Amino acid sequence: MAAITLQGVTKRYGNVTAVQALDLAIREGEFMVLLGPSGCGKTTTLNMIAGLEEISDGTLLFDAKDVTRLPPHKREVAMVFQSYALYPNKTVAENIAFPLRLRGVPKAEIDRAVASVAEQLELTPLLQRRPNQLSGGQRQRVALGRAIVRQPSVFLMDEPLSNLDATLRLSMRSLIKRLHHQLKATFVYVTHDQAEALTLADRIAVMQGGIVQQLDTPEGIYERPANTFVASFLGSPQINLLRAGLPRPAWVAEGRDVIVGLRPEDVARPTEGLTALSGRVELVSPLGSETQLELALPGASITLRVPKDWRVTEGETLAFGIDPARLHVFDAATERRIAP
Amino acid sequence: MARRLLLALFSALFVLYVAGPVLWLLSSSLQMESEITAVPPNWLPPHPGLHNFTAIFTAGDSAEYANRGIAGFLPSGAANLLPALYNSLKVGLWVAGLNLLFSLTAAYAIAVIDFKGRRATLYTVLATRVIPDIALVVPLFLVIRNLGLINSIGALVVTYLAVTVPFTIFILISYFEGIPRDLYRASRIDGCGHWGALRHVYLPLSLPALVAALMFAFLTSWNEFLFALVLTQNAAAQTLPIIIAGFVMDFTTSFSFVNAAGVIAILPPVLLAIIFQRYIVSGLTAGAVKG
Repeated sequence: MAAITLQGVTKRYGNVTAVQALDLAIREGEFMVLLGPSGCGKTTTLNMIAGLEEISDGTLLFDAKDVTRLPPHKREVAMVFQSYALYPNKTVAENIAFPLRLRGVPKAEIDRAVASVAEQLELTPLLQRRPNQLSGGQRQRVALGRAIVRQPSVFLMDEPLSNLDATLRLSMRSLIKRLHHQLKATFVYVTHDQAEALTLADRIAVMQGGIVQQLDTPEGIYERPANTFVASFLGSPQINLLRAGLPRPAWVAEGRDVIVGLRPEDVARPTEGLTALSGRVELVSPLGSETQLELALPGASITLRVPKDWRVTEGETLAFGIDPARLHVFDAATERRIAP
Repeated sequence: MARRLLLALFSALFVLYVAGPVLWLLSSSLQMESEITAVPPNWLPPHPGLHNFTAIFTAGDSAEYANRGIAGFLPSGAANLLPALYNSLKVGLWVAGLNLLFSLTAAYAIAVIDFKGRRATLYTVLATRVIPDIALVVPLFLVIRNLGLINSIGALVVTYLAVTVPFTIFILISYFEGIPRDLYRASRIDGCGHWGALRHVYLPLSLPALVAALMFAFLTSWNEFLFALVLTQNAAAQTLPIIIAGFVMDFTTSFSFVNAAGVIAILPPVLLAIIFQRYIVSGLTAGAVKG
């Protein structure tokens, strides 16, 4: 097991700074997700942890050991790639055995390890096939097998599920979560998919422009987004962010320019203690268990998600209540969260 | 219909154009001098026989002028033909082998390792091939002479490598760049250093390019005339093209002998092509990464 510490880690390509003075302490055995839009520096960060990209500035520690300049094959990390990256000239068994072969593990031991990994990932009937004879999900399981066969202390995953279809993605997601519980290794997982991040992570680092915008638990990120970027990146449908039209909580100083955020699901029937609002329903989109509404308030338009038994019809005027404590308030200039 | 006929006609003409000389070479190598020079020509040997080949393989013992009786006569350099064949083979194999070794490592470094001046290195290597060979002959001769390498196999090997290595590097780089980068990354993570990545990823997946490079280097060396003419002056290091060219520069030309020598000269490259053609297959990286 290993804790991973990044201290002021920076990556520059010529004049472009991909990752800027990143400080991140990943705890031993933690499942850390780096989340952000493409080009935010999350994959670059992962590659620097792996040793596949040189670190321009800063220090990288595994536990107390400085590995900043260590080549990848000496770092003892395992990695799973979005593209699977299986060796096309080797069979499934040879792919999984390869890291052990390179370490000079005796053949009998390799065979045992490969068999046990294959069993765990349900690859046993496929061991003699080549990668081009496998489906996408099978290939990704082989890639996982190649990574776990070494029993590494650090596990790096670069969007491992992005190339799979939706159903497969769900089952692979729970497989990865189970693996984390079993292996108790440190996982660093890169994704742009907020659902993956929220379901898998112990903590999430939301990145944009090469900078960590917020580092917190999934609940913390969702409930207390540090700025408008984080607020709008997580949550589906997106949070409503408005300069005007939503009620300002009482504690916000009079005259201060703020952005008020309301999660679409943070609404209720108007009752005592809630701020009552009403607006004209412009669009109704049933989602099965819930219904998504587009609502025109005086001077603003918002999206809401309400239980389906509200039975809303287009064109009606809907009265609803919001809890001022559930509103998110951001400074209009800095876009940072302000709290009472 | 007419289209297909025309297509067939022109295909046949093209085949004849390409294969005609080779077929004539084969046919005439089995004929006697008088049959080759007959008018109209004998397209097929009237009395096919291996006498010309026998003459080549016995030329060393009896390199006398005009001692072949009715079959024809021997050119003055006939005894040098077999040593030249051996020289050509030696030079060709050395060039093919060393070319691969140097180009492979250089191409890997340029294609895979991100070092400062990588583009500049590639351009410098390629720029050496912009200068025509004829401009280099005299300076090269002086260098080789000062090194004391004139009339040696080594002189030819070194010179030919200077021709083949830049091209081979270029070919291999473009091939290497087509191999998914994630495979390299995966191999580094799995525990390979640069040698390991070269051996386990780039070598097995670029087999067709390696075979092509091998053939290219061997053929370049096998066919080369200009440098061989200048850098070698006696039978110790002279290669086939020089010796065979000498036959037609003789005071009389023995077509039967020259043609038989020609057949022998094309055999090694043809054999090489037959042996290696099964490795020239595409689609080696199928299934490596998501397509």
